[in-house]
Amino acid sequence: MRRVCQGDLGGLAALFERYHRPLYQYFVHLSGNRDLSQDLVQDVFFRILKYRDTFQPDASFTAWMYQIARNTHTDSLRKRRFEVIPGGADAKEIEMPSHDEAPEDRIGRKQEVKLLRKALDRLPPEKREVLILSRYQNLKYEEIAEILDCEVNTVKVRVYRAVQALSQIYFQMANEKAG
Amino acid sequence: MSSEGEVIMTCEEARGYFVDVWRGDMDETAERAFQTHLHSCETCRREVESLRSVWEGLGAVPRPEPDAGLRTDFYSSLREWQRRDSERKRPLWWVRHPAVQGIAAAVVLAAGIGIGRLTLGHDEGKLADLQREVNDMRQMVALSLLQQQSASDRLKGVSWTYRVEQSDIEVQDALLHTLKTDPNENVRLAAVDALRKFSRSPETRAGLVQALETQRSPIVQVAIIDELVDLGDKSSIRTMNGLLQEPELNPSVRKRVQWAVGQLQ
Repeated sequence: MRRVCQGDLGGLAALFERYHRPLYQYFVHLSGNRDLSQDLVQDVFFRILKYRDTFQPDASFTAWMYQIARNTHTDSLRKRRFEVIPGGADAKEIEMPSHDEAPEDRIGRKQEVKLLRKALDRLPPEKREVLILSRYQNLKYEEIAEILDCEVNTVKVRVYRAVQALSQIYFQMANEKAG
Repeated sequence: MSSEGEVIMTCEEARGYFVDVWRGDMDETAERAFQTHLHSCETCRREVESLRSVWEGLGAVPRPEPDAGLRTDFYSSLREWQRRDSERKRPLWWVRHPAVQGIAAAVVLAAGIGIGRLTLGHDEGKLADLQREVNDMRQMVALSLLQQQSASDRLKGVSWTYRVEQSDIEVQDALLHTLKTDPNENVRLAAVDALRKFSRSPETRAGLVQALETQRSPIVQVAIIDELVDLGDKSSIRTMNGLLQEPELNPSVRKRVQWAVGQLQ
């Protein structure tokens, strides 16, 4: 980021290589829309360039970048004037990882993960977001607190509540399926 | 605190540590107090284990991967931003405005005629020498920077090539060499753009086509294809058709080649 701030736009390529994948996953988990997520990733890097002068060298770049990502997502929702329902056709296309398990175990595991994915999509957006940031983006609590503009302890409580809510939705869906 | 100095945790406090436990992110003192609490509280014990299965299950949810188009689009946008940025940074960029250029040309012409009448024949030789020296100096800087180890120095070298004359074969060859051999993708991309200045030369066109045959970076391939289309270089169609036969060709590049062949035919 230092290079970009000094006017070397080539430095943005290094940032892209490092962060485009987690950013893309963040947007797909939030929006459930792959094409939109690709556009949003592009938009984030454009904004990094545009607002590079506002970055404080001693601050966390990751937190700053995710703040931009959040704003980008919020703006896209505002522009489209409706919220995409996550877990749509796009989300279903995501390939399941292969496991070294017996076929029946693999099928059972696959169904559990699929159900969990659906449960995650049913979580309220603010709970889903805090879970994505803490579980998938490997961010420190301090960084999440900065992104969400709250205290570190508040982050921990929010993550706990999000997992609790997810668990309720998941087991409810599993019971409905079994019944 | 207990009499042994041990921290006593309430259920509410213990829940605040659940996430730390799942993330394996607890210090020793807190861990001890937490385990002591779990030992005496069945509700928390059950809850932390039940929620842990959900937390771990989340780790098995597959991570979506972006397709190659994201990278291609990004690098194409980056080149555009770099071009705009370098134009903006160029000193006296407003001089490039057509109206200003027209006025400046008229003033220079009038001044030239006036000075020429006064000093006819005296300094023509000196002026030509001076121009040659300036161009030689620019050429030397460009060529020297292009040979540096640092990619950012080589990028500067590519920028310097914009300042030499179009007929400078040494610089043209250096840029073609950079395009074919430079290990850094950004430098190769910049070389593609810089070669536009030499696009009238048949060697440049042939060099671009040759580079397209050997280039393996999708971004650079797309940049060369775009340039060949802009130049209307029909001789590149054969190479492009050859690329289309390659089963492992990047899908975005394949699309671009198909488009380019359509444009050039």
